[in-house]
Amino acid sequence: MSTAATMRPAATQVSGTTKGSGAGRPEPPDRLAGRVGMGVIFAGLVGITLWAGKLVGFSWGELLGNLDKVDRLVDDSFPPEWAFWPRLVDPLLETIQIAVLGTAGGCLIALPVALLAARTVAPRPWIYRVSRMGMNLLRTMPDLFWAMLFASAVRFGPFAGVLALIAFTVAVISKLLSESAEAIDLSVLEAVRASGGGWIETVRFAVWPQIIPHFVSYTFYAFELNIRASTVLGLVGAGGIGMVLRTQLSVFEYDRVILIVLVSLAVVLVIERISEMARRRLV
Amino acid sequence: MSAAIRFDHTHVVYPNGVRGLDDFDLEIEAGQMVVVVGLSGAGKSTMLRAINGLVTVTDGDVIVGGTGVRAAQGSGLRQLRAKVGMIFQDFRLVRRLSVLDNVLIGRLAQVPTWRSVIKAWPKEDVDIAFDALERVGLMDRAYTKASQLSGGQQQRVGIARALAQQPSVILADEPVASLDPVTSKQVMDDLQRINRDLGITTLINLHFLDLAKQYAERIVGLRQGKLVFDGAGDAVTEDDFNQIYGRAMTADDVLEAHVAL
Ligand SMILES: Nc1ncnc2c1ncn2[C@@H]1O[C@H](COP(=O)(O)OP(=O)(O)OP(=O)(O)O)[C@@H](O)[C@H]1O
Ligand SMILES: [Mg+2]
Repeated sequence: MSTAATMRPAATQVSGTTKGSGAGRPEPPDRLAGRVGMGVIFAGLVGITLWAGKLVGFSWGELLGNLDKVDRLVDDSFPPEWAFWPRLVDPLLETIQIAVLGTAGGCLIALPVALLAARTVAPRPWIYRVSRMGMNLLRTMPDLFWAMLFASAVRFGPFAGVLALIAFTVAVISKLLSESAEAIDLSVLEAVRASGGGWIETVRFAVWPQIIPHFVSYTFYAFELNIRASTVLGLVGAGGIGMVLRTQLSVFEYDRVILIVLVSLAVVLVIERISEMARRRLV
Repeated sequence: MSAAIRFDHTHVVYPNGVRGLDDFDLEIEAGQMVVVVGLSGAGKSTMLRAINGLVTVTDGDVIVGGTGVRAAQGSGLRQLRAKVGMIFQDFRLVRRLSVLDNVLIGRLAQVPTWRSVIKAWPKEDVDIAFDALERVGLMDRAYTKASQLSGGQQQRVGIARALAQQPSVILADEPVASLDPVTSKQVMDDLQRINRDLGITTLINLHFLDLAKQYAERIVGLRQGKLVFDGAGDAVTEDDFNQIYGRAMTADDVLEAHVAL
């Protein structure tokens, strides 16, 4: 496909004329149907957006009319209370720890879940169906839901945050990884089986070597998602910087709130960038 | 002695209704070098894969070293497969693993799972793997990544993997079909040497008739899942081939013609 695309201009250049050089060359496919289809889809999207805006009572007037409130908020927030920042260091470290533990735990659990939920790897069809169903169920819940659930189940604090991120990570990564596992070359699996290897040996020697690069890449990706998520988790009581944010919000200390927001933003961006670089380097 | 492999009214019917093997009867003595020929779709691969249970025998049975394939399950099937080494047209090595690790896959049925999972291979199994590599002349490449070898070398690693199983039977499904003529002969020589030196019963699917005649002790011809020819390798005539193939031989059927090109 790509060779055909690159060879075409070269061929016309060589012939030097606009005259077609080959009689056997196929006509390009008619794209009219595709264009009409795109138009319909685009119109549909616009329609849905308008409908959704009406539903939530969106109005330009309200947005603009409230600008003075925003103005006041900004007044209260600036300048940030820089002196407050030493009290953010420990909560920030806690946020990072929550993300690290949530990622590590989540990815470790996601690995077997993904293998059992990959049709071509699962040892039995019913195991595949059960795992896939569990995985899809897990994925319907957002990260904040998990945080609230665990914050009330264990107690408020970082442990609840770690549990929430583990659940969230398993949900996201097992899905991605099981799709990678379904795309591997199956012929090697047969070779291991033919040598007398069982399921565990087949996974270890034929599946694992083929999915390591994906697994490493997804682990970093999960960490990037989790470092973002863990800053917010505290808002519902699951430890880290978000807990401080919640306290300061509740006492209207906006000059501290803005500091927290700025510092969190900087930390998240820096860590994300580092993780992204490591991921590129490794895979 | 009883036969190493005995097909006993073997039927293989695929789920889509296609008959891979149709009431197939054949006995192969221990240590024989048998070449299986037949048109594409005749059932050659099905025949080999029925021996180690990679395809399901739907009626009758295949007896391998005294064990019926049909009843073998779980660890019984694993032990049967451990005794049967298999070599594939497309090599089927784990490309990211070293040559040695690929050969050690042949030891999986003997090594405890916890050890193989962390690659804590017992010394005697590593020795067996090195012996196998030495036999195919690749000992010095043991720590090379499998993907960095040439096609012929990869196929020799495939042979070493099968040898590491210390099998009583070797099945080779078109082992030279992805190789050039010169390499093909080298790989066939390896298989012949191993058969003679170690007395391993060897079944090879081939589609080049001159190669079949040159290397086979015995030639077995298949057509539509049935046995249509069975004779000594040097006694087979062009007429026999025409009968197996249901058509006259062409240049495509001989390796020498490809060498000449
Ligand atoms: N997994 C399968 N499912 C359904 N039918 C199959 C399957 N494998 C093989 N067959 C069919 O069984 C018949 C025998 O196939 P087999 O692969 O044994 O032939 P072959 O002699 O090895 O041919 P070739 O020389 O092309 O490899 C063919 O008609 C083939 O289409
Ligand atoms: Mg075949």
